[in-house]
Amino acid sequence: MDELLIIKNLKTYFYTDEGVVKAVDDVSLRINRGQTLCIVGESGCGKSITAMSILRLIPDPPGKIEGGEIIFEGKDLLKLSDDEVREIRGNKISMIFQEPMTSLNPVFTIGNQIIEAIMLHQKLDKKEATKKSVEALKLVGIPRAEEIINAYPHELSGGMRQRAMIAMAMVCNPTLLIADEPTTALDVTIQAQILDLMRKLKEETKTSIMLITHDLGVVAEMAEYVTVMYAGKVVEEADVIELFKNPKHPYTLGLLESKPQIHIDKEKLYSIPGQVPNPFNLPKGCYFFPRCERAMEICKEVMPTLKEVGNGHKVACHLYGGDNNE
Amino acid sequence: MRQYITRRLLEMIPVLIGISILIFVIFQLAPGDAVSAIVDPKTSAETKAKLREQLHLNEPILVQYKYWVMDILKGQWGESFYYKQPVSRVINSFIWNSFYLSLASFLLSAILSIPIGVLSATKQYSKFDYIFTIFALIGISMPSFFFGLLLIKWFAVDLKLFPVSGMTNPGSTATGFALFKEVMHHMALPLIVLTLGSLAGLMRYTRSSMLEVIRQDYIRTARAKGLREKVVIYKHALRNALIPVVTIFGMSLPGLFSGAIITEQIFNWPGIGPIELQAVNTRDYPLLMGINMLLALLTLLGNLIADVTYALVDPRIRLK
Amino acid sequence: MQTVRSVEAKIREEKILGPWQLAWIRLKRNKLAMLGLYILIFMVLLSVFGPMISPYNMETLDLSNISAPPSLSHPLGTDEVGRDVLTRVMYAGRISLSVGIVAVLISVLIGSIVGAISGYYGGIIDAVLMRIVDIFMCFPFLPLLLMVAAVMSDYKIHPNYRIYVVMFIIGILSWPGLSRIIRGQILSLREQEFIQAAEALGLRDRRKIFRHLLPNTFSSIIVSATLEVAGAILTESALSYLGLGVTPPTPSWGNMVNAVTDAYVFQFYPWRWVPPGICIFITVMAINLLGDGLRDALDPKLKH
Ligand SMILES: Nc1ncnc2c1ncn2[C@@H]1O[C@H](COP(=O)(O)OP(=O)(O)OP(=O)(O)O)[C@@H](O)[C@H]1O
Ligand code: SF4
Ligand SMILES: [Mg+2]
Repeated sequence: MDELLIIKNLKTYFYTDEGVVKAVDDVSLRINRGQTLCIVGESGCGKSITAMSILRLIPDPPGKIEGGEIIFEGKDLLKLSDDEVREIRGNKISMIFQEPMTSLNPVFTIGNQIIEAIMLHQKLDKKEATKKSVEALKLVGIPRAEEIINAYPHELSGGMRQRAMIAMAMVCNPTLLIADEPTTALDVTIQAQILDLMRKLKEETKTSIMLITHDLGVVAEMAEYVTVMYAGKVVEEADVIELFKNPKHPYTLGLLESKPQIHIDKEKLYSIPGQVPNPFNLPKGCYFFPRCERAMEICKEVMPTLKEVGNGHKVACHLYGGDNNE
Repeated sequence: MRQYITRRLLEMIPVLIGISILIFVIFQLAPGDAVSAIVDPKTSAETKAKLREQLHLNEPILVQYKYWVMDILKGQWGESFYYKQPVSRVINSFIWNSFYLSLASFLLSAILSIPIGVLSATKQYSKFDYIFTIFALIGISMPSFFFGLLLIKWFAVDLKLFPVSGMTNPGSTATGFALFKEVMHHMALPLIVLTLGSLAGLMRYTRSSMLEVIRQDYIRTARAKGLREKVVIYKHALRNALIPVVTIFGMSLPGLFSGAIITEQIFNWPGIGPIELQAVNTRDYPLLMGINMLLALLTLLGNLIADVTYALVDPRIRLK
Repeated sequence: MQTVRSVEAKIREEKILGPWQLAWIRLKRNKLAMLGLYILIFMVLLSVFGPMISPYNMETLDLSNISAPPSLSHPLGTDEVGRDVLTRVMYAGRISLSVGIVAVLISVLIGSIVGAISGYYGGIIDAVLMRIVDIFMCFPFLPLLLMVAAVMSDYKIHPNYRIYVVMFIIGILSWPGLSRIIRGQILSLREQEFIQAAEALGLRDRRKIFRHLLPNTFSSIIVSATLEVAGAILTESALSYLGLGVTPPTPSWGNMVNAVTDAYVFQFYPWRWVPPGICIFITVMAINLLGDGLRDALDPKLKH
């Protein structure tokens, strides 16, 4: 398979007054060309920070990428100069952020903000850029695009803003689109439209997508490959069919079990007993230990590592691999 | 926009009434009787009584208030006890000197505070930020009268670089550019004192506004587009950070006429400050009431200008 | 930094710290704020105990030794009637500091009550109170102060009591800002759970406001009050310098600087007016440092 992005042992830490938060701790993952990778996990497990690390958008201070490699088209993004990274941002890799309401600059028109990206990366003049942004807005299903282009963000609904964000992200035909919970803020019908749209874009432009989501329904619909994160670490990764058919990690099992048929309250999606561990006071062994129903003695002391259990399926749990192979 | 301004103007009316009541009440609290203050003590009781009648001093307090407000609306602000001239004429002959001084200070602090504040924010915790943090701290902690005195002592008395006081040389007949130069020379020290005070505040304000903005999601979006850091800061961030700063500028406009009372006094600058203090000391109540009413009006006007500029720079307000 | 963090982490492990203890730990880590605190403590000690230790009495004249320059026996020289300037500066510190503190206490008292009532009851009460606040805020502070001071002066109050008048005037004119802050906080607190719990318990309004709501705004009150003390000291000094505040023979830092109205003193006896001026500056700066530090410590979210 043709690998577009490989993340190896990424570590992104935050140095706060209360202590060090290892938001992303030794995370490795891979995205193939033309494929969609979904990252799932509870709130605060480090999904967004992983995504932002790729574009080196971590606020510093307090954040810092402390180690690892992010290899995109053969080059380590962490070793590039600031100028070289800027060439890639918004051009080859673009990102849709989690918060559509606040991610657009309130004092510039939608058009202004899209045109800016086009003129930066494609040597087009203002007129052509304007034409192109109208097309991009039409593509994401915004009606009356010629008018909307002159609107300010506050004049649009959340769904419209998110579409505008997507248009902005897609307009330079990126090879990789990172979408951080692009639909959480939206209501269900619009969610479906946006996902549809992303799928269409992927088919038409062969864009790879890294999709971050809470919603396993979305995963089933969109992903080719899935990575499950817990407390800054990858605990399981597999092909989407394999993962749904044959989930291994107790945490993943919990996620699948608590998946509601119709979700009313997106925030309270999961009900795995216990709480997300305190980032300042992580258990010594497996981070999931305090909540795990199948925990063993060894789990308390030794942190499990990510091991292949066949079919390209990897899991970090003492129940699998070694002596405990099922 | 017109609707917005009209609404704001209407909202000002109750506040204005409140202010006039406040001023009126404060002066009603003054002991003694306005008549004895105006006339010389030898005046006969009869004349005094007549005068009381004329000034409506025998009427109930509400009626007195009504007369006073009517007079103000008609532009009759009374006559200054001390100058024996209409209050409006006294004010008019001094207020522009205050305006020149304060305007110069306002422009200077605006020009300096924005770049310093922006740089302090983008280079937070750098040496630059640190130096100006201390500078601002000194600026807000230094009593202006003491700072003014120190400057006079060092630069005017000891080093003789600048004149000690006034706006022009005594008996000066300079005109045109020579006059301008002379005034500038006199203005230098008071300008420093005034600017230190306002610069400190504005600088810190710009800094914290900028710090607030650069944490916003849309700044991250701008970076994610691949924009150069300069564009991110000076186009995307600054435009937002300036919104509250502009408001502060608007609100400091009335200060152009009254913000320099103490500094003007120290440097004997012939503005409204020394006149107001003199009016306080001579209990020239009509003049005091006039000055205060004018300042309150200007403040309201300044707030209105602040609101309007706010609406102009922030598209989110425009529609409302 | 690293070691401080680990120390803090250790303390945290041993027992859960209350918000005030945490704030204190954060404050202690802020070098500038601590510098401000130490300077402030020094100035307070100097003003409280200095005059007691000093061999001179604030009011004792020594006509054989007038306007003497600083010397060993008079570190800051003497004034025009031979009184020891250092002793007077220390005594003036008592006056200036207590005017600042009492004025702010008055302002906090009014400001928090108005703010709490306004925020709690909302509706027409809120509208009326906030309009009144608007009126006060629409007034340039100094002219208003001068006007009130002028009227007060007409009552020919005995100089010994003028200090109370000054405290009162500054206090009564500076509450509106604080009341707005408190109101805003009460508004948002009201929505929170524990007040709804109190609501369910059927507590009386007064109890709800004073026992449950106001205590939750203490951190903002403390920060604003601290910074306001600095402002009040500056205001008092300016008023007294202008002869409209505390008047001689009671010394205050402001009215001591007023000695410069004598041009000869201004030019040749700087020890008579520079030290009190520096005292104002240092004290106000110390309070500002402490106030900024308190803000960062009590509300880390606001920290820049
Ligand atoms: N600026 C910051 N300062 C300190 N800690 C931070 C900062 N940003 C993120 N973190 C921490 O990093 C961890 C991971 O955050 P992240 O935003 O990646 O979570 P997430 O998985 O995207 O969650 P969600 O589903 O809620 O978006 C969290 O524990 C968070 O507290
Ligand atoms: S390692 Fe142990 S505690 Fe962790 S998930 Fe597996 S079984 Fe549970
Ligand atoms: Mg996230």
